[in-house]
Amino acid sequence: MMARRRLLDILVKLSALAVSGVFGLPALLALVLPSFRKPATVRVRLGPLSQFSATRPVAVSVSYQKRDGWVIRSFRRTVFVSFIAPGQFKVLSNICTHASCAITWDGQKNGFFCPCHDGLFGKDGRVLAGPPTRPLEEFPVQIEGGYLFVELPA
Amino acid sequence: MSRLLTWLERETGLVSAWSRFWLQPLPNGVGWAHTFGALTLLCLTVLFVTGAVLMFYYSPTPDQAYASVQYIDHRVPFGSLIRSLHYWSARLIVPLMVVHLLRVFLWGAYKKPRQMIWILGVLFLVLIIGFGLTGYALPWDQKAYWGTAVRLQIAESLPAIGRAVASFLRGGPELGSLTLMRFYVLHCFLFPVLIAILVIIHVRQVHHLGVAAPWVRVDEEDRVPKTQRLHPEHTARISLLALLLTMSLLILSTRYPAPLEPRANPSDTAYKPHPDFYVLWLHELIKLFPPHLEFIASFLIPTAFILLLVVVPFLERSPERVISKRIPAISTGLTVTFAIVVLQLKGLRAMPPEEQLTPLERYGQEIFVQLKCYTCHGINGGGGPVGPDLGLGGKRDSEKVRAILENPGSFNAHTLMPQYRLPPEQMTALVAYIVGIGPNSRMPPIPPVDPEKPPSHFEPTWLSDHKFEVRKDPESCNTCHRPFFCQACHQKRLPSSHDQYWLKFHFGNAAEQPKMCQSCHDDSYCADCHQKMRHDTAWITDHGKALAQWGHLTRWSEKTGLSLCYQCHTKVSCDQCHHGAVPESHRLADFFRRHGELLAVKEKEGNPTRQDCTTCHSSQFCTNCHQERARPQSHKASDFVWKAPNNPDGYQGKSGHAQEALKKGEGSCQTCHQSSFCRNCHGISLPHPRSFLSDHAREGASKRALCQRCHGWTDPNCQSCHTKTRPRSHILDYRKQHSRDPTIASGSCQVCHGSRSCDDCHGLPMPHPPDFIHTHGDLASQLGLKGGKRVSRLREQICVTCHQPSFCRRCHLPD
Repeated sequence: MMARRRLLDILVKLSALAVSGVFGLPALLALVLPSFRKPATVRVRLGPLSQFSATRPVAVSVSYQKRDGWVIRSFRRTVFVSFIAPGQFKVLSNICTHASCAITWDGQKNGFFCPCHDGLFGKDGRVLAGPPTRPLEEFPVQIEGGYLFVELPA
Repeated sequence: MSRLLTWLERETGLVSAWSRFWLQPLPNGVGWAHTFGALTLLCLTVLFVTGAVLMFYYSPTPDQAYASVQYIDHRVPFGSLIRSLHYWSARLIVPLMVVHLLRVFLWGAYKKPRQMIWILGVLFLVLIIGFGLTGYALPWDQKAYWGTAVRLQIAESLPAIGRAVASFLRGGPELGSLTLMRFYVLHCFLFPVLIAILVIIHVRQVHHLGVAAPWVRVDEEDRVPKTQRLHPEHTARISLLALLLTMSLLILSTRYPAPLEPRANPSDTAYKPHPDFYVLWLHELIKLFPPHLEFIASFLIPTAFILLLVVVPFLERSPERVISKRIPAISTGLTVTFAIVVLQLKGLRAMPPEEQLTPLERYGQEIFVQLKCYTCHGINGGGGPVGPDLGLGGKRDSEKVRAILENPGSFNAHTLMPQYRLPPEQMTALVAYIVGIGPNSRMPPIPPVDPEKPPSHFEPTWLSDHKFEVRKDPESCNTCHRPFFCQACHQKRLPSSHDQYWLKFHFGNAAEQPKMCQSCHDDSYCADCHQKMRHDTAWITDHGKALAQWGHLTRWSEKTGLSLCYQCHTKVSCDQCHHGAVPESHRLADFFRRHGELLAVKEKEGNPTRQDCTTCHSSQFCTNCHQERARPQSHKASDFVWKAPNNPDGYQGKSGHAQEALKKGEGSCQTCHQSSFCRNCHGISLPHPRSFLSDHAREGASKRALCQRCHGWTDPNCQSCHTKTRPRSHILDYRKQHSRDPTIASGSCQVCHGSRSCDDCHGLPMPHPPDFIHTHGDLASQLGLKGGKRVSRLREQICVTCHQPSFCRRCHLPD
């Protein structure tokens, strides 16, 4: 009798575990997994390569749909396209890494200048002067069919 | 762990309470029929767990509710499974509760002292129905919106309190954000709290009073031996059924995921909401009453039924539990159950039959979805608002459907619908599906688009307003749409900016705002036209060839190259060359090639009709073709423009064009050239105007070099006049006086008399060269005069012709 009860006890507990697992595990994963998801990117066309062949970095305003969960909004931002060598470009954020001010290209200083705290970045985004400690954020670029594309965080 | 449990037990007594609960003895006879309460509790637990997860991702606003449900279905890991488990648990909990209630009723388990357990159970059932009604609205799809609208309408029909109840639930004048938030709070906060309290009290009461022993009088319960415990004997039964229930839920959730109809569209009046299966009996009951008495069926009878259930333990007070001794109660209960079952069956029969598609129609349905026909057309609701709902309008003719698909413009010139040129088998399937669509057809599941449409796209006025969004930020469209997306509609209906003058003026816009063009057009779009057609000289020469190659091809938004020409040019401008009311002579098949030759023949016949060309054609007309590459045959002669000198005078004779001009008359050149054309080279108007004859002496005197370009010194034209009629200057004794004529110095004599005419008379170059005063002495030797008298002889032979003897003495002393 006791053995039967023991067996039933084990079976009941296993069943409870199975039922809990079937319903609980997906629920747990549904909450946990999105936190570890790789950030999505969006591919944006910046323009024909000829447009960026100048020695001076070119500011390009791009507009794209940005997803915030289930909310999708039009998002606008500016990036700088630096011509490094034929077929080699760098697309840099226009936001200073020190205090998030918008930078501009200063031809006299030959670098990106941040007017808030006099930060200066090189054409390739490296810190040249001022308080910033990190280089400008760089975005991956692709060249296809004579056009320059950039992967921006969606 | 044991120390923790000991501490917990010492502090709360929960550990021993937990053990007491599971080890409570159960009377003999408690078996499989007593498991439905536990299964209901399992369903409720699943609903709580899955509902809690859904709450993490759900947004209770009309703008975002649908998008958040889509997000759950397609982007949350296991999101679709969790929503489906929630959906199916909510549907299974109702029959489980009904079975549990029936079991308790038939077993007489509600009798004193278990009346409260029964009442709590009935309230539990009411709350579950409330859960269903409020949860129904939350996905905010078509079914949710219209189902809720109908239910609120039913609530509003209640006498006295109806309007107040409906207004409270609605939260405002119409279904919207206030309604959704109220339903959300009721569904996710108020009802769960209430139901949790009810469940806790219900279960506690069961534990407190114990499970009623079956089929024994209430006052004989104590005599029934308790041969089993809740755990593990009874929990083993429950576990087995719980496993089966779990498997059923899993199978149902994976095979039949929770539906999500198109987003709620308040303006879509074609949608037909259908009641859920568990309220079909109520729906049928309502149909039994006239409209003004509907509240009896929709409110009074259900309320009375609930109240009846609540008071059952107080109405039936006999301690008997055996069915045969409870005939009035059992018969009443079975009658009510039978009525509900009959009504439910009637409702099931009244439900529209499931759409039965043939394999061909099913294939056509797939094509329908692939082509995104739902973007414009609904099927008894759903779909876009642009085209007519295909569920309406009765049976269709397959040939007409095919014709509309292939060329919608032939039925409605203003339609936006693009032409579909499908392979025959696909067209046949699509036509079969569309023809088969009837009033009971449903919109097929619409696959989600990625990324999902932003809320703006669901605004009722989006179709008319989207152009403002494009103008504001043309790039934003490109994030999701490729240019051909715009052209699906705009092939037929151009944007308002693309009016009749657009082609003429589009360049400025394209140059200033290229991104605007790129929002609808590929990069190759401009090149399609401009690589072949730039309105330069080469284009004018070659346009016939180019148009012959691609002019009639349908391109550029269903336009042909020729139709593009007409955007700027009127047909008359083409007809000038190509068509129109041309003379008979122009109707020859090869007139265009032979017109020069034909014209020459006519002229030979003595009928110089070249001027006839200018009757219809402007002076620019010929130059359209006859520029560098396509000159008339006559113009191709090597000496047509200029002829090399053929005599010592340097006179080259008449060039080809001069001969043509002189031969064919004044209008000849002007057929193709403007009158100013000749002046470009000749410096004077040509052919010479009529007044030239009287003025030519003056012209000739001032512009002798010009005359020499065409006229030689011995030009017979001059001779022809001047041998008969002397110039007016040549009065009778002009020979003696011509040396005083001031024009002589300019060489004007040579115009008529030739370059050697003076020499012929004077015997020496005339007029005297500039250094003649120093060299005139050499003349004598040149003339072979020798000796002392040579000067006198020279003077007598030559100088006296013009000079008096005293003229020499101005310098020379007498011999």
